[in-house]
Amino acid sequence: MAVKFFGQFLVEKGIVSREALLKAIELQEQKNLKFGEMALAMGYVTQDDITRAHHAQLSRDIKLGDLLVEIGILTLNQLNEIITRQKNNHLYIGEALVLVGALSNEQLQQHLDGFKADQAPYISDRVELPRGISNPEVWEMAADLTYKMITRVLGLPFRAGKCHTISTVATNFVMAAMDLSGEVDARFIISVSQELQKSVAKAILGEASVDNEPPEVLEDTVMEFVNVVCGNIAAKASQAGRIVNINPPVTIRPDVAGLAVPAGYTGLCFPILANEGETMQLVLFVKELGGKNL
Amino acid sequence: MKKVLVVDDSLSVARQLEKIISESGEFTCVGHAKNGAEAIKMNHAEDPDIICMDMNMPGMDGLTALRSLSMLDKEVKVVMVTSLGGVVDKFTEALKLGAKNVISKPFEADVVLKILRGL
Repeated sequence: MAVKFFGQFLVEKGIVSREALLKAIELQEQKNLKFGEMALAMGYVTQDDITRAHHAQLSRDIKLGDLLVEIGILTLNQLNEIITRQKNNHLYIGEALVLVGALSNEQLQQHLDGFKADQAPYISDRVELPRGISNPEVWEMAADLTYKMITRVLGLPFRAGKCHTISTVATNFVMAAMDLSGEVDARFIISVSQELQKSVAKAILGEASVDNEPPEVLEDTVMEFVNVVCGNIAAKASQAGRIVNINPPVTIRPDVAGLAVPAGYTGLCFPILANEGETMQLVLFVKELGGKNL
Repeated sequence: MKKVLVVDDSLSVARQLEKIISESGEFTCVGHAKNGAEAIKMNHAEDPDIICMDMNMPGMDGLTALRSLSMLDKEVKVVMVTSLGGVVDKFTEALKLGAKNVISKPFEADVVLKILRGL
């Protein structure tokens, strides 16, 4: 029901043991050279170049390869050659499991088919964003995955409105947020009306009625939904080689004037049109290039 | 009956897990800790057989608590129950630190019980 990677799927299903998976991961770690290791192995850089570049990276948000090109140690052609060799020599987890004897080639193909079917509901569909947003592919995926989780986890029928930029988030009954960091800097917010909060709570708690639940439990269910969505966004991002870290969820309570988008951030609003008259929104505060942290 | 300790800062997740565990008739839930530090204290007090623990919690997170629990108690079996299960690095780190399995959120009752029975 969640975004998974192949090794996790196999362990969860009991197809391979955790010990076999760990052995395969260790083999991957030995075989799959990092960019700097590959550049060294190909003789394009020295250990001193790498150390110098790592030092420069402490004050710059830039990939090692791009930095090595920028300071004239690598040419663009060499950069591309290294990346291509990394890709061509990459040992995938399925192949590693075959090499450690945990699966045969036939079993690998059979379970890959099962894995693809399991993950099919999470294949990304296109979401259109306004132009000029940093890391648009991450936010398109985040919005798409949120929609899919509303369907699969909450079981709510809805229609997605067009994404637009905002300067203030309208206040709503419950607003739960999670900060995302790593290769991105953003705040993810879900706001729901009172009736939709009950729908969220029923789905998360698996109860037919939540009329007797205390307010803190009802509020917690919205935070947990945000946690589930953001964790799965981090998982999907990691499959694309991107690092997205999450923090524990919080609730925010703006006054009636609403919540202003902080300076240095772009506010993206994705209206979610659920039951008649009930409002739900996904809002993202995405850091602009050069913007200050939240 | 095997004793299970639930560790999650979310009240609703704790409720879900406690329900799955107690309704199974095979396990009994001995408590709910809200972060890693509470988990270590409750592990000492309640001596559970199994701990179902979240990763992303305020205060001491799940992986830090797992590292400590692995050193303090060689008997207890820890299963991580987390929305970060699909993040390869987090999953791998959990297994390397001694977690017996990692269950992704949202989870299904039959998957949780199948994994607990296999421990």
